[in-house]
Amino acid sequence: MYLHLYDSFLNNKKYNSFLAKIETRLTDLGIGGKIFRLSPLRNIGELLTEEVRNGIKTIVVVGNDKTFSQIINLAAQFNTAVGYIPVGAENKIATILGIPSQEDACNVLAARIIEKIDLGKVNNTYFLSSITVSGGQVTIECEDKFKVTPQNHNEISICNLRPLLVAAPGQGSYFNPQDGLLEILIKPLASGFSQIFKKTTSANSSVIPFKKISIRSRDSLPVVTDGQKILKTPVKIEIVPKKLRVIVGKNRMF
Amino acid sequence: MFKEKEGDSVETMIGPSVHVEGNFVANGDIIVEGVVSGSIKTEKNLHIGKDAKVYAKISATNAMVAGEIQGNVKIKESLELTNTARVFGDIKTKTLTIAPGASVNGKCIAGEDKKTKLEKIDDKEKIVKQKIKEIPISTPVKVK
Repeated sequence: MYLHLYDSFLNNKKYNSFLAKIETRLTDLGIGGKIFRLSPLRNIGELLTEEVRNGIKTIVVVGNDKTFSQIINLAAQFNTAVGYIPVGAENKIATILGIPSQEDACNVLAARIIEKIDLGKVNNTYFLSSITVSGGQVTIECEDKFKVTPQNHNEISICNLRPLLVAAPGQGSYFNPQDGLLEILIKPLASGFSQIFKKTTSANSSVIPFKKISIRSRDSLPVVTDGQKILKTPVKIEIVPKKLRVIVGKNRMF
Repeated sequence: MFKEKEGDSVETMIGPSVHVEGNFVANGDIIVEGVVSGSIKTEKNLHIGKDAKVYAKISATNAMVAGEIQGNVKIKESLELTNTARVFGDIKTKTLTIAPGASVNGKCIAGEDKKTKLEKIDDKEKIVKQKIKEIPISTPVKVK
């Protein structure tokens, strides 16, 4: 049984024809199911718990990366497969998972290639893609073995999936959500002309794989997860291997 | 030998703006361009960049050094020191290549891991001493 979760922005009239096409295609493929429209007033956690108890085996998120990340955090608690129909242009997670946009995503759902992937956990919150810390001096302690101190102004990301803009060396082995490791990515912030032209300084980046770290700072700094949930330092981050069953496309980037 | 740009096997990269302190252990290749203090250990290849400063004990299978190391270096297979390399510490490796201009301050052992006669005698003495320690000393019994 399928549960389709529509993001609240799809209530806009301009998406009506798109949703009609999607629903027709899903019915044709025989993977239609219950439809719920998300809203700030509805508690998604309670809804999912109830539906899983009623026998839902697959949760399909219809929305953008932000919607998908929010649902992932809740769906990780259940043993259900998660599918994704991306809406809109910039959906990095969909690209990494090899899911094409709009109607073609229905075919990916029907093909049902399920991969077990790792999730990151920051304090008690799961994240799929990455979390970022910026704005001050931090110290990263890794498994009580070594300490990493970025020297200058840097952007610090903890990545599970490959960030699309990063062209780090050795791309083949980095950022694999099935390797049981997360990566610390430290990028010096661009300045001067390179900032104007948004040039990435990947040559000066640092990439350090780990299983468990803690991030501390003298002043409390914001830690932003991919679902836009904001936490504050100090935080503990760890990998939870093979936590999520996700439906992926053939063109996935791992 | 060690291929510097064999990107796919690179797993850890310590950039120039980063300082790592402690016992750094990695399963894959390591590229160091920043500052590391403590120890570095990998079962694969290690590359120490031109501007890198390493105040650490190093252990790897292959290594290519272009920067500064202050600490002992133990490489299983081959060690290559480029013309900008500066090593302040003892080196032990199977194959050693030193480019003109590189500086080494320390004891240097290159070649097969065969022990000298003196080292063999030392090892035997250590084993004998250990065995003597292991023998339980029986307490003397008072005779009435």
